[in-house]
Amino acid sequence: MSLASRTGAVWRRREVVRTLVVRDLQVRYQRSWLGYVWTVLDPLAMSAIYFLVFVGIFKRGDVGHKPYFLFLVIGLLSWQWFSGTLTDTARSLLQDAKLVRSTNLPREVWVVRVVLAKGIEYVYSLPVLALFAIAYGLRGDVHFSWRLVLLPLGVALQFFLLVGIGLLLAPVTALVTDMQRVIRILLRMAFYATPVIYAQLKVPHPWNRILELNPMTGVLELQRAGFFREGLQVRAVLVSVVASVLIFLLGSWTFTRLERSVLKEI
Amino acid sequence: MAPVIIADNLGIEFYRSRKRKLSLREMIFKGATTHSTEMFWAVRNATFEIGPGEAVGLVGANGSGKSTLLKMIAGVLIPDEGTVEVTKGVAPLIELTGGFKGELTARDNIYLTAGLHGLSRDQVDERFDDIVGFAGQQVRSALDTPFRHFSSGMQVRLGFSVITQLDEPIILVDEVLAVGDRKFRAQCHARMENLLAEGRTLFLVSHSEGDLKKFCTRGLYLSSGEIVMDGTIDETLEAYRSDSDAPASGTA
Repeated sequence: MSLASRTGAVWRRREVVRTLVVRDLQVRYQRSWLGYVWTVLDPLAMSAIYFLVFVGIFKRGDVGHKPYFLFLVIGLLSWQWFSGTLTDTARSLLQDAKLVRSTNLPREVWVVRVVLAKGIEYVYSLPVLALFAIAYGLRGDVHFSWRLVLLPLGVALQFFLLVGIGLLLAPVTALVTDMQRVIRILLRMAFYATPVIYAQLKVPHPWNRILELNPMTGVLELQRAGFFREGLQVRAVLVSVVASVLIFLLGSWTFTRLERSVLKEI
Repeated sequence: MAPVIIADNLGIEFYRSRKRKLSLREMIFKGATTHSTEMFWAVRNATFEIGPGEAVGLVGANGSGKSTLLKMIAGVLIPDEGTVEVTKGVAPLIELTGGFKGELTARDNIYLTAGLHGLSRDQVDERFDDIVGFAGQQVRSALDTPFRHFSSGMQVRLGFSVITQLDEPIILVDEVLAVGDRKFRAQCHARMENLLAEGRTLFLVSHSEGDLKKFCTRGLYLSSGEIVMDGTIDETLEAYRSDSDAPASGTA
């Protein structure tokens, strides 16, 4: 089946995807009403820690844009979506193996559903971001601009990128279960190779060029552009778009290729 | 009338042992099926057509490929060889409780599972009473408790009840009629008969001769993954019986 027909097949079953996403969120928030608090508490706590370390102790708040705390919150919320999705999509075919085995849905549905559920959690956490932006804005520290419209584009790009990575990881993990550990380690490394707690702009040559190849660099550029004075790194954004497309193609190809074996194994 | 299930030279290969040494590189660039040394065909050269309204029983020993064949028809396994074409929608009674989530209430689970199989919310609303009614009083009084508190019998009953409420014209059944207590079994049988009377197509995997004779008119006899006989249910059961009673027959 071609890429277009497979995408169409998933689209036709969007009702099912919706049902699954609603279920995921229901399960998550039914277990404890604190569910929402946890989704925002983790990135906020991490932001506070990095803020304390870099600004409070080492006086190096200049590794990111100012206000540094807002810079951290945007980056860490986005990173939480990224890393949470990666860990979960990798497991997506295994975790619901019974469902995958008993319903004839386009198998990509299981990946898209995780990216969406995590994405909705991310969107739910945006009011917290808005709160901080407004608070800093009232003090006159935030440089709001028209580039705020790039934020949704950044979210869309991240969604697309995550679907691509998910399609790549899900079948591989279903066949090689060790992958889950590998992914955890890679994620930790990727965290420092992504401008989450620092700005790409502040990275010395030639490291900044290498960093540009990371598709998340462009994603974060888009998401942060509307809040800070620093110019948009257009090249990083372009690289990110191209890389996302390539990863998506590679992911779809791998997924189709391994689907048959995965169904036999799970 | 045009057949609703057309299997053409259908085949699927499995690894004999689950332990495989696969490197990531090999899997991605050569495809995982290149390690042919340890493979066996779970089903091979299966060719048959099933017309609308037919009731077909799949007969054969353990490990002869019955469930595998059923799963390929259901579309949850992809054949390595040949094709299977299913022209109408399928209601698979395979992993009955697969769609249920223990944390959610039975009510939510009904909507969820029915939704996964293509029913809209309104359609479920309409059928809700029938579904719950069929699953029984015990289930009704526990509708708003988490599904994981259900006994396994209640879980399967609810599963059966949801899937048989689907409108799909083809029903695939894998050994699920044997579940539940006496009363529920009788109920299941009545439901199956109703479905058949409505003109649905049935594909039944079972070890119960009684069930097979009761529901099916045609039989497919699978032995080591090959269809060795395609005839009336009585003929195939007879052949299966004489093969399995024969000492040290060819299947060993």
